[in-house]
Amino acid sequence: MTAFNPEDRGRHKKLILTWSITFLVLFPLLIVLGLLMRMNQGEVIKVDNATFYSYMTLHGLGMAGVLFSMAWAAVFYLVGTRYVKLNIGLGYAVFLLVVIGSVGLAVATLIGKFAAGWYMLYPLPFIGATWKAWTTGLAIISLIIMGVAWLIGCLHVVYALSREYGGFTNLIGWQYLGKKPPEKELPPLALIATISLVPGILAFIAGAAMLVMYLLQHLEPSLSFDALVQKNLMFFFGHTLVNITMYCGVGWLYTLLPEFTGREWKLNKLTVYAWNATFFFIVFAYFHHLYMDFVQPTGLQIAGQLASYFSAIPATAVTMFGVIAQLYRSKVKWGVIPTAFLLGVAGWAIGGFAAVVDSTISINKVLHNTLWVPAHFHTYMLMGVVLLILAFLYYLGSTEKNRDLSPKAGFGFWLFVAGAYGFLLMFYLGGMESIPRRFSEYASSGIAHTHDTGALLAKVAALFVALVLIGLLMMYGALFNGLLKKDQAPAK
Amino acid sequence: MRKGNQGDRRAAWIAATGAVVLFAVLSFPCNYWLSLTMPRHQAIQLPAMLLIGLALGRVARKVNVKDLSWGLALLLLAMGSLIFWMLPRSIDLAVIHPWFNRIMHVHMVATGFAIAITLRNMPFELKIAFPGMLAGMLIATGASLRAFTILLCSSFTIEQQHETGMWLMLIGVAVFLGTAVFFIRRLGRE
Repeated sequence: MTAFNPEDRGRHKKLILTWSITFLVLFPLLIVLGLLMRMNQGEVIKVDNATFYSYMTLHGLGMAGVLFSMAWAAVFYLVGTRYVKLNIGLGYAVFLLVVIGSVGLAVATLIGKFAAGWYMLYPLPFIGATWKAWTTGLAIISLIIMGVAWLIGCLHVVYALSREYGGFTNLIGWQYLGKKPPEKELPPLALIATISLVPGILAFIAGAAMLVMYLLQHLEPSLSFDALVQKNLMFFFGHTLVNITMYCGVGWLYTLLPEFTGREWKLNKLTVYAWNATFFFIVFAYFHHLYMDFVQPTGLQIAGQLASYFSAIPATAVTMFGVIAQLYRSKVKWGVIPTAFLLGVAGWAIGGFAAVVDSTISINKVLHNTLWVPAHFHTYMLMGVVLLILAFLYYLGSTEKNRDLSPKAGFGFWLFVAGAYGFLLMFYLGGMESIPRRFSEYASSGIAHTHDTGALLAKVAALFVALVLIGLLMMYGALFNGLLKKDQAPAK
Repeated sequence: MRKGNQGDRRAAWIAATGAVVLFAVLSFPCNYWLSLTMPRHQAIQLPAMLLIGLALGRVARKVNVKDLSWGLALLLLAMGSLIFWMLPRSIDLAVIHPWFNRIMHVHMVATGFAIAITLRNMPFELKIAFPGMLAGMLIATGASLRAFTILLCSSFTIEQQHETGMWLMLIGVAVFLGTAVFFIRRLGRE
């Protein structure tokens, strides 16, 4: 059993505070970019196309990067203060590299107007680009730097856990599948972190190969690669990154919620089977991004649908039942932390359901290029991952005696949730009305219904985004107050 | 104990002598044959030199780089060296001038040696990240060579260039799989 001294905990606390404050600063800025895009689509402001798509690129890449980084940092903190000793220096190195990469991306998009979208669909960055060539190079190098940082960070956590819990098979819970009870209990966070981060490691290496090819083509424009291979690699990298962000959040849900309900949440055979299904199928789930690519072999398309179902449904179902079992008649005091956990899981379920619907080939044919797609992933991220992160941050800044919010911050929390669901509803309605996604404005569509409905929904969505921002800022007082308070006992 | 040390030392000497002999064979009598086509040059001679260096580094157990800063610097230098000897201009010069080719040989042996004496003392994360990134780079370079319709190295033909690309991709995949196996085994052993 690893022993932790207060100094170690203090160092971990400093590191997680650095991550948390960076997250709290960057997150609303990235929301503002989304607000500007929705305002432009709603014809409230006028932004030229080059600027709009540069905002879209930074909003997408930035959110994916910031949320994953914060999720990883939270896992790093919880693992490093509860289960195994982790290298703080490495944590800071990851932070530094991620900051360097983020600055590079910001410069490429905001100054250089790099606007190839979050997944830089090949060969878009190289053909008919409206931005300067150096921005493509800078964006690629920035992503490589961030990828290396995440790779090393994930390797470190998995390796440290493996040393503590007796190897890889133990880490993925196989000792629970035999008849004998396990010799040493495996914390759910260790299982879920492994199941999330190992596919992440594979994805980062695949991403590195793809980004090096992008870089080579950037340096030698006469080069040209197989677009289908590039798209497969990009989505293996991008989809896995976004997917495991959510699972990291679920990992700390398993760890922290029991502290509020007073009930243990231990692993059992069923949980292990469910998460192992995720572990196996998560690497194939990305195929559902390629349904529109008719040259992709049909077998892979079918595999994509099956993997999407099998990777998401067992783990989600087991977790939902777990949450219900935790909360039912538990006399939990409904402060902001358990509320955010419950709503975060609900957001995961709602967004996940919408995602699984969209991963069904026959439905995807209709929904693929509509606002349904941003609807589902915004639900999953904003009302899933972000709420879990907020729960974690409140937990971090609270003590056992004081886990409630001030009334103002509490109101801000509900304003945030209400605004977010209003904003998401506009996306879903847009999907139902076949409003296309990725349009900077709808007037040029030439279809009156698309223009009128799209612009109206965008305008209303912008109002809801404003509520999200106001709610968030109202919470910030309590959050910063808690996080920056000195001499506070660190989390257990 | 002492006998064991003597045995180790003898094995090291045998390995080192073997490496020097192999180097001499590949760099002198076989050089013409290995420089005749691009796949032989890039997919046999260059990796062979690197492997000789790795083997030498493996037996030279007393030579170690333990400092993380130095280790990182050396690994970055090694990566840079590998990139340098994959550049078309470097390859052309190596094929045209045997003395330049020999610099490549020595450099690759030194690179392999540096990787071996560094990586064994580095944290597990680097032991995975370095070959992982190397695999990524090899696959990307191989794909580029296959994709290029322009002759990059004037000393070879376009068909050879494409063939080299395929071999580099295969080597990259092998490095990736090897890294994955090492990763899983190492975690299992812990």
